[in-house]
Amino acid sequence: MTNLLHPGRFISPKQSEANIGLMLALPIALVMFLLVFFPVCVTLWDSLHRVAPMRAGTPFIGLKHYWDLFHDDNVRAAALNTSVYVVFTVLLETVFGVFVAVLLNTVKVGRKWLLGAVILPWALPPIVNALIWLWIYNPNYGVLNNFLLSTGVLNERHVWMNDRFVALMLISLVHVWRMMPLTAVIVLAALQSIPHSLYEAAELDGAGNWGKFRTITLPLIASAVAIALTQSTLFAFNLFDEAWVLSGSSLDTRTVLIQVYMSAFQDMQFSYGMALSVIVMFLSLAISLFYVLRIYRETRFD
Amino acid sequence: MLSLKSFKKAAFTGCLCMAVSLPLFAADAPSSKQYSGQTITVLVPPWGTLPKDMVDRFKGDTGISINMQTLGWDEIRAKLITSLVAGISPADVVELDWSWVGQFGAAGWFTPLDKMVSAELWSDIPSRKIFEYKSQTLAVPYNNDFRLMIINKAHFDHAGIHQPPKTLDKLLADAKALKASGASKYPIALPLSATEGTATAWYLLTKAYGGDLFDKNSKPLFDAAGSPGYKALQFIEQALKDGLIDPASTGMTDVQVQDAFKAGQYSIDLAGWPGNLSTYNDKEKSKIAGVVSGALVPSSTGASNSFGLVEGLAIPKKSEHKEAAAEFIKWWMKADNQTQVFNELSDLPTRTSVLNALIQQKKLYDGAVLLEQIKGVGPLFAGGAPEWYPELSRAASTAINQLAKGQVSVGDAAKQIADQTVKAMNR
Repeated sequence: MTNLLHPGRFISPKQSEANIGLMLALPIALVMFLLVFFPVCVTLWDSLHRVAPMRAGTPFIGLKHYWDLFHDDNVRAAALNTSVYVVFTVLLETVFGVFVAVLLNTVKVGRKWLLGAVILPWALPPIVNALIWLWIYNPNYGVLNNFLLSTGVLNERHVWMNDRFVALMLISLVHVWRMMPLTAVIVLAALQSIPHSLYEAAELDGAGNWGKFRTITLPLIASAVAIALTQSTLFAFNLFDEAWVLSGSSLDTRTVLIQVYMSAFQDMQFSYGMALSVIVMFLSLAISLFYVLRIYRETRFD
Repeated sequence: MLSLKSFKKAAFTGCLCMAVSLPLFAADAPSSKQYSGQTITVLVPPWGTLPKDMVDRFKGDTGISINMQTLGWDEIRAKLITSLVAGISPADVVELDWSWVGQFGAAGWFTPLDKMVSAELWSDIPSRKIFEYKSQTLAVPYNNDFRLMIINKAHFDHAGIHQPPKTLDKLLADAKALKASGASKYPIALPLSATEGTATAWYLLTKAYGGDLFDKNSKPLFDAAGSPGYKALQFIEQALKDGLIDPASTGMTDVQVQDAFKAGQYSIDLAGWPGNLSTYNDKEKSKIAGVVSGALVPSSTGASNSFGLVEGLAIPKKSEHKEAAAEFIKWWMKADNQTQVFNELSDLPTRTSVLNALIQQKKLYDGAVLLEQIKGVGPLFAGGAPEWYPELSRAASTAINQLAKGQVSVGDAAKQIADQTVKAMNR
């Protein structure tokens, strides 16, 4: 093939394909650079300086913010809360997501309607979702208290958010309710790609339902589960809406992202908030990498 | 710098002016149509959102259209910061609270209004000094807010109590009597969520115990056992343990607590807003109309103390319609407009002459009580709200919220507030 830019220079078909591929990828690479990599680099750089609108200048301070963060009681409390959210929500979303996906996969009639109903919580804006549950949990007129009072489980109305552990669990449940459908959809897609012949062969070999699930289903949806785990973890790390709407800036339920927001936009300590967000970014990347390396596998059916 | 003495003197002297109506100042001269055709955006909380007829009247007087935007008080601050940091003016006229002056003044975001408003008008607004930052006035006060106690008289009568409590011990005793009589399950209305209203309620209780939060060197006073601020925290803890404050208050803002009070759920709005007296007595807005009255904040020292929480209207430097915005603020400050705002939105007028006229015309609910309470109103910070005030407020509301949930002790809460405030001071 002739190189039009440099006539006389020969380009192999492979190189030409590569060049075309690069050109096609260039727009998205540019977008990613402008919207992702450049802001991340700026954030990293600014986190090493003091950036605060109330104070003149932006002097270089090195790792001082990171040092202060590890000694900040509010950050520690927020980090503990976030850890609880991550563990609880990822576990529930994965278990229930797989369960719902398997159920949906067995439904032959009306699956699309059921799928639509399952996806509805995920389709709602997070704020709307949280507000609905705020009303449900309301101690004075909430459905939860009214139901438990009417069934005799409670003798008087209970203020759910006054107990730290209960508050963390209830906020986690709201997040799970919203995000579990995404896990279910991802896993359902993987389930539907599993050839039925594998299950028939297993039945011929005498495998029961649990055996088929353990030896065929689980291994073949592992890659999808890894993807679902990654997105669950990232969303849990970035939990904001549910905690903010249900509990405001209360320290017992505050997440790391809420702490970032408060540091940056209430205390106007922007670089301090940036440093915290950098730590969150690296933590969530590390966990995602763990999933990809340990759980994801390229699935082949032959 | 605003001293306690000069603040009290200005407020007290102005409000006690009797008999002869004061002449209208030049501030009430006809508005200019110089900026006709412009549209300005005004960002204020619900109690600052002008009714449509006033918006239309402003347009008729000046030719300037208004785009009125309403946000909750806590949300306005966040919107201001995010917009102004990005170099964008969120509106041409914005709410500026007394507590934001230090922080926002340091950031240099607002247009000095000293020359945009006439000297005659300034002389009629004693709370101007609260909005001064480095000798520049950043906002014109529009809501002369302070705190006083408001009670449900019907509940008190039901419990056989004929006088509002004057001391904090009597307050607790009366609250127990109200509870025992069945008048209300939780007599004392107090916000306990991690929001500003919780912090200001604690400040009020500290004042009620006869003390201040900091000494003249900004050293915290409230972390010492036995100090007024410490006792205020103990008051909150004890009242909760005795079942006198609704445990659900840990999730309620001050506005939500007020809504519950005017629905008849509580008996004592301890950190009440004077402007709410007219709202609580409005049959269309309240279930307790006609049985509400203002009362002096109880005190352990005999003298009822309170503090000012004045709100102002400011013009961001990034506004592209500064002159039109100034026209709006000047129009708001006119006597008849301040009066109408009071009637419609319950914002207590900031002009001394207007306040006097309302008192003389007996249009101010419990005017005598308000006048008496104003004697004890002073600034929370003698030198104006410092730059680290927002961090103090957040530390206080967070710690009180945890205290109310039983997660920390009074000592730990006080220490937490002190430590975080000192850290913010030294940043």
